[in-house]
Order: sequence, then structure tokens, then C-alpha cells
Amino acid sequence: MVGLFEFLFKYRPALFEEGRFTFVSPGWMQVAALLAGALLVIAAFTYRRLGAGTADRTAGADRLRWLPPVFRSLAIGVLVFCLLQPALVLSTVVPQETFVGVVVDDSRSMAMPDEAAAADGTRAGAVLEALSGESGSMLDRLAERFQVRLLAFGRSAERIESTEQLRFGRADSRIGEALVAASDELAGLPLSGLVLLSDGADSAPAELGDALLTLKAAGTPVYTVGVGRPRLRKDIEVSRVVAPRRVLEGSTVEVEVTLSQTGFGGRTVDLEVEDDGRIVNLEQVTFPRGGSAVTARVMFAANDEGAREFRFQVAGQPDEELLLNNERTALVEVLKRREKIFFFEGEPRDESKFLRRAVSQDENLHVVSMTRQAANKFYGMNFDEDTRRFEGFPTRREELFEYSGVILGSMEASFFTHDQMRMLVDFASQRGGGVLLLGGRRAFSEGGFAGTPLAELSPVVLYDRPADQGRPELMTDLRIDLTPQGRGHPATLLRDDREEANELWPTLPPLSAYQRATELKAGATALLQAESPMVRDPMIVLAHHRIGRGRAIAFTPHDSWHWQMSADIPLEDQTHERLWRQMLRWLVSYVPDRIEVEADRDRFEPGSTVTLRATVRDEAFQEVNRAQVVAAIEQPSGEEVEVPLDWSVERDGEFVGTFTARESGLYRVEVDARSEGELLGVATSRFAVDELNEELFGAARRDSVLKRIASETGGRQVGLGQADRLVEDLSVSSEGTLVREARDLWDMPILFLALVALLGGEWAVRRRLGMA
Amino acid sequence: MRTFERYLYRPVHPDEVLREFYFTRLAYSGHMYRGFAGSWSIDYPKADRQFMVGLKRLLDQLDAYDYDHALPATDPELFRFPFLYSVEVGYMALSPPEREALRRYLLAGGFWVIDDFWGSWEWANLERELSLLLPEYPIVDIPLDHPIFHCFYDVEEIIQVPNVGQGRYGGPTWEQDGFTPHVRGIFDEDGRLMVVINWNTDLGDAWEWAEDEWYPVRFSHYAYQMGVNFVVYAMSH
Repeated sequence: MVGLFEFLFKYRPALFEEGRFTFVSPGWMQVAALLAGALLVIAAFTYRRLGAGTADRTAGADRLRWLPPVFRSLAIGVLVFCLLQPALVLSTVVPQETFVGVVVDDSRSMAMPDEAAAADGTRAGAVLEALSGESGSMLDRLAERFQVRLLAFGRSAERIESTEQLRFGRADSRIGEALVAASDELAGLPLSGLVLLSDGADSAPAELGDALLTLKAAGTPVYTVGVGRPRLRKDIEVSRVVAPRRVLEGSTVEVEVTLSQTGFGGRTVDLEVEDDGRIVNLEQVTFPRGGSAVTARVMFAANDEGAREFRFQVAGQPDEELLLNNERTALVEVLKRREKIFFFEGEPRDESKFLRRAVSQDENLHVVSMTRQAANKFYGMNFDEDTRRFEGFPTRREELFEYSGVILGSMEASFFTHDQMRMLVDFASQRGGGVLLLGGRRAFSEGGFAGTPLAELSPVVLYDRPADQGRPELMTDLRIDLTPQGRGHPATLLRDDREEANELWPTLPPLSAYQRATELKAGATALLQAESPMVRDPMIVLAHHRIGRGRAIAFTPHDSWHWQMSADIPLEDQTHERLWRQMLRWLVSYVPDRIEVEADRDRFEPGSTVTLRATVRDEAFQEVNRAQVVAAIEQPSGEEVEVPLDWSVERDGEFVGTFTARESGLYRVEVDARSEGELLGVATSRFAVDELNEELFGAARRDSVLKRIASETGGRQVGLGQADRLVEDLSVSSEGTLVREARDLWDMPILFLALVALLGGEWAVRRRLGMA
Repeated sequence: MRTFERYLYRPVHPDEVLREFYFTRLAYSGHMYRGFAGSWSIDYPKADRQFMVGLKRLLDQLDAYDYDHALPATDPELFRFPFLYSVEVGYMALSPPEREALRRYLLAGGFWVIDDFWGSWEWANLERELSLLLPEYPIVDIPLDHPIFHCFYDVEEIIQVPNVGQGRYGGPTWEQDGFTPHVRGIFDEDGRLMVVINWNTDLGDAWEWAEDEWYPVRFSHYAYQMGVNFVVYAMSH
């Protein structure tokens, strides 16, 4: 389209946008108007006279009769327009008085062999040929009009003297930072603009918009020249890995891995998970035929304590163009610590006994229980020197909030005070804890939860059940099976093999429940359900939903212990133990600590600025702003650096500090928070510093990035072989040392074509009317 | 197992509301008749029913079945009732299928309270049976600081509880050569108590005759305390 426009109007649309339209001979305007008027009068008179003697007197001919004078008038108008000498006034740069910065991407991704224009087929080769090739190179063309400054960039831009200094081996390419650095380098000079030659692969952690705003404010247009293909022919890429930063030792880690591909639709590949060179999982992933990306949920056991780097990789496929983007790593800290769970049970029953027994050998779970044996007589178990003793249910937030999870057994709502119920809801929503509601004859609707704050916790819809209805009916023979969402969920994975685990559920002994839970709340997810001859709809067995920062889980059967103690279950069977270990680990996963510290990412490039963010709360989980927070950073070499963290002001309890990580390896951060000299707590975190090769992910030319840079800075995107156009665009830039230049428009082909068309039309109509 | 003994079993009727707790008596095979059926049925069913009356009053949150409930070890339903009570084990002679079922029951999480047997001869019989049942686990004395003595009532001393005849008339509290009462147990490798053995004592009679004005209250008082503690312990450990 642009080419056709340029053919018809002599110049590209861009020049019309930049320039201002004018007539070079405006003094002729009145003369031209008089002349045009006279000619029009003559034409009208002539046609009027001729029309009377026309041979064709039909109705159709009458309708055409007015056309010849109109064509003639328009033709006269075109001629007059040309006589007035129309022109386009442009501000163009004075040759050799303004500067242009040519910023070349010198990163490793430029070695990609996907540029057919180059002799060696690489992006780098294409750039070199375009910049300094023998025939009409870009640098030469630019040098005819501008002072050219050549810069190469990876993480930032640096001046180079010639293209021979380009190595295309830098591990990073941070386009935004590089452009700002280039703009700063040329600051103070009359700068027409920057020319960016890149594949658009941007590995900067920061949002590009900030850099573009800086360039826009400086009035520096960026002209982008893209290299590489906008789409690789054959490539598989591990695009994204979403893994938890911390898990308990022995837990099942659930990781979402997104694989992208081009040219491998329908192919099944092996996704390997490695822990320190040992394969801990192998998942087969089939790419959809139509789409390009697929997300696989990978699960594996994290059995070794410490900071573990899990590697997710897909073996290179035959003909694959880029293999370096076939793997990613995730840093997961495997913690060996005891998560405290408070189990409050309203009656002695085997379900709670067997549940506690199932997790009693789990060193990472410490279940403190309080069971009501008789009215106001409780039996507390597993309290130790680290836990506050209390009788019944806690009355103070500090007592309850020291736990990560709460299990509520068969206890009626009327037992609790309103404040205790509110505190339990706050435990989930504000403290971020996990609440597990167990089925029982005094739980959920049957326990009078409806209409109380406890109802907020339930993921299933409760109904109002009057207390005088007596003992609730027990629904027996519940055959339990997974819902689609429950398949492969870490809480329901009772065998290492996922298929085996899915098939196991219907074979387990049937259970019973007092809860008629058939309806989920909005936003809740059911993982297990059951069919029973006693209810029409499927019964919800296991469901969960988020409550503020935390989560609540409902498990409605009251006798899962039959999966431990059944004549049909072998003694060595671990199904019951595994179910509850996983369930409780899931309950307390992602529960925040009082003091926490995180780096803004888990992996950085060497030399990166690491932002540390600590959150400080008191025993009641109220954020503390008046605290002294210091981070001790242990570097890979063993050297320790102390970084004070300051209150961010933006959020209560948030303290922030930065640190430049120069060494490669694993860093350990320990934060010490004090208030008025008293220790509030300590938190630790880890991050890794390594070459990340981020730009090799999404390695195809990113036109969207290049277009955005050009459009937001007032530049344009041009092709590699369009050096003339680039020079022209830069010449009419509004920056630099400028001179005004008027370009004729009277000789635009469109005017000539219009004249020919109008006169030809007039002649054709006259023939039709028999006037010729 | 004799045919007419089956009429003594009290399995839960299908129409009965299911409860959380059943005081289940083990109907085992034995050497000889004692009582009106096998030795397992001594004091049955009155002791069981009367204990449940007291238990439900003392543990008022326990959803317990009101009646006696006896099952043989070979009944697969036994696994639905993790609390088991036996008496007169001096005459117990488990068959191989009973032994196999009971072993599975205990290792899977069952809890077995043994009561009312006396003297070295009866002890030897039980010891032999247990060595065949759980050969890898030793029988040990349960120390007084163990939670089973403190989980509901604090029991500071092990008392010898006599049978109803000797208790009523103030005779000696012992039988045969069982002069000293013991509470012994078998623990699994994780320290879980699987079997509690009340030797040289008769808690069952103390429950059964608790309402008898001639039976000394200190014995029935102690027997109920121990019984309640056994149930609380079984339902919580």
C-alpha cells in the first residue's frame, strides 16, 4: 500500500505526516480563480447550446447530460491547482550537522541462523551486511547526511568505532537500558534519532515503558530495524516455569511448565525434571496440533533439604533450530521444619485418632490437638515447649496465630463465642493460614455453621438446620472418585504414578458422611466427589477455596480411617497415611511467616541489582512499621554483607533494600527484625546468580517490541534493506540542525492520471450522447 | 467355636444408627466352658452394658453404642470397631485364622484391653498366645507416668480389684497365686500401645456390680477410672 501511495503521490505517507502543505504561488490565486470561472462559464454555455441539438432524446440520455460539464470543470480545477504550484514543506537536516546513533544488538541471540538475507544465514551476518556491506550500505548512506555514532549493546550500550568490534556474544540484551544509555551518550549533540538494529529479544527485568518514556521526554525518535524471522520454523521452548519458592521436605512439589513450539504440533516430547543431575520425574507432553503452547503440571517429591535447583528440560528434536531454550531451572528451598497445626475436635472419635496417627511420623508436621471429652473437659495433646498451653479453643489471636493450620473437627458452632469464630476466619483471611473443616455429626450445616462467621470458611453451600432436628442422618456407602480438577492434584495423588493414583480412588472402601454437601460456593473447587444411593446429586467430598490470604478446605466424610483399618486393605498399604500427610502439607503450604524476606526473583544475571523485600509482623500478625530490619547476605564466596532494609512506606510492614550481586552462585539472605531492641524474628531466603540466556526464550524476531519502541518514541520501523527510506525518515526528523525545504507536488502522477481520466470521461459521454 | 455361642453375638443391627464407639468384646476360641458359653463371655453382657452407662455419663461427648457388642476375631466387621475387650484369657486358645485376623487388627490400629485373669498359670497361657500372635513385640510393664493413667483421670496407683464374691464379703482380693496386680502392655515400633493387659485384677466385675451396695465403691471407682482412661486413650492415640 505504501508503495502504491508513493507511486501516486510521489512521496511516502510519512513525509506528508511530517511536512506542511502549501502553494508556492499564492499570488496567482485570484487570477486562477477568474480564469477558472471564465472557463466554467464558457463550458456551461457551450453545453447548453449543444444539448438542444442532441440526437439522443431518451430519458437515459437526459440523465447523462450533466456529466460532461462536470468533468470539464473538474479538469479545469486540476489544471488550476497545478498552476498554483502546490508543495510540501519539510524540515530537513543540514547535511553533516546532525548526528545519528546506530545501536546494534551485540547479544548471543543474534547468532541465530534464521536470516535468509545474509550469506551465512545468521542475524548477525545480515546486520553486518546491511551496515557495512559493499553495495549501498546503511552506514555509508547515513554518513552522506549525518554524523554517525556506532554503539553496541548487551546489558548497556557502548561506543564502538567499527562493525568489526561487534562480537554477537553478549549474554544479555536489555534494549530499554541500552537505548537510554545511547541517548545519554549522545546527549548535547544535535541528534536526529537512534537506529536500533535488533531481533527485539529483550531480557531486561524492568518494564520497557520506563525507558521509552525517558526517550520520549528527551525527544529522541528510535527507528527500529528488525532482524530474524518473526516466527522460527522448528523450535521447542520451555517458556515458563512456575514453582513454589519454598516447600516442606518430603512434600510433593507442583510446578507448572509452559512449553511453546513452532513446527512440532502433534508431537509428543519428554519433559524431564532433574534434581542435581538425577531425574526425579519424566512427563510426556503432547503439543496440540492447532495451538502452539501447552502447560504441563509436573509433580515430584522434594526429599533433600536445602536450596535445590530443579531443571526442566525437553530433549532437542531433530531439525530444531535453537536448543539452548529447551531448559529452564527453578530454585526451590526445601525446608526441614515443623509446621504447627492445631486440631480442635468436639468429640472423641476414631477419625481424629487415625488422622493424627497418619501424620505422627511426619517430622515436618506438628499436630497439637485439643479434644472435648466431656462438657468443658478437654484433652490436649502434643503441646511442647514451643507452643502456648491453653484449655479449649484459644481466646487470644497470639495463641491461635502461632499455628500455620487449623483442623476443625466435629464441633458445633454454638460452642464458640462470636469473637472466637471471627478469629478463626481472620486466621485464614488475615494471617493467611489454612483451615481444614472435617465432616462429622456436629460440623458444617449439621453443626449450625450456617448464619455464623464460620459459614465463611466453608467451600460448600450450607443450609440452615434447626437444632431441634436431632441427630443428622448418616449417608453410607459413599463411593469416592476424583473430579476433573482433582486428577493430578497434589492432595489427591495417592500413588507416585498419576494414572495409578487416578484409578485407585474408586477401589477404596466406601465411606459415610453426615454432610449433605452437594453445592459448591462460587470460586470453590471440588477435588473429590461421591455417589450415594441416598442422595440424588453427587456429594462433595473434598473442596477448597481461598479466603483472603489463606485457604479453607472441606473434607466431608467422617470415617476415612476405614482406609487404614479395613479387612480389605493390606497392612503395608500407606494410602491413609499418604492422604493425610499430603492434605496437611497442602493445608500449610504457602502460609506466610511472621517475618519473611524474598528477593524480587529467584535468579539473576551477574551484576544485577537485587531488591530484597521483607515483611515484618507481630505475634498477632499485625504489620510493624517501626522496626529495625537488617539483611545479612552470605555470598557464594562465603563473604557476608549487611544491607539495612527501610520501611517502604507504600505498604505496612514492608521493608526494602537493594544489593548488587556480582558473584555467580547461590546467595543466602538472613533477615533479623527488631523492635525497640527486642527480636521480633528471623527469616531466611535464597537466590541464585547465573547466566540466564533470557533472550534465547521467545527467540523469534519480536516485532511487537520493535513496533512499540518506534511508535512510542516517534520513530518508525524499517526493513534491513531500506537504508534510503531510513535516511529520508531521519532527514525530515524535527530534531537536529534543520533547514526548510519545499518539495513540488504539481508533478504528482495522481494529478496527471486525474486529468486524463476526467477529459477521457467527458469525451466518452459526449460520444454516447452523439455530441462528438 | 460352638454353634450356640453364635446366638450370643450382638452385631450391630442394620437399622441401628451407627455410633462412633462400640464396646466390642472379643468372642475367642477357648479350652473349656466357663460361664454359660466360652470363657470369653464371663460377665457378659451385664458388665459391658453397665460400663457403657457409666462411660456415657462420664464422657458425655462420646457418641457411644448403649449395648453389648461381641464379635469373633474372624468376622471382617471387627475392623470397623477399633476397641476390643477380653476377659479370662487364661483359657483362650486362638485358632490360626483368629490369630491371623487379630494380628492384622492390632497392627492396623486396633486397641485390645485384656482383663480378669489371674495367677501364673493363666499368665503363661496368655503369654504363649501373645507370643504366637505378635512374636516380635515384647510384653512390658506400663509405667505409671504413661498417658493411659492420666489421659482423663489421674491414676496414681494400680489397685487389685477383686471379683464380686470376694469383694462383697471382704475376702482376699487375689485369686490363685495372683497376689500383685499388673498393668502391662505391648507397644508397636512407633511406641503405640496396642494391647493393655490387666493381670491379677477384675475390672469387669467392678463395672458389673458397681450398683451393688455390698461391693466396695473404691474398687468400682478405680475400675471406672481405668475403663474411661482406656477408652479416651484408645480414641486419641
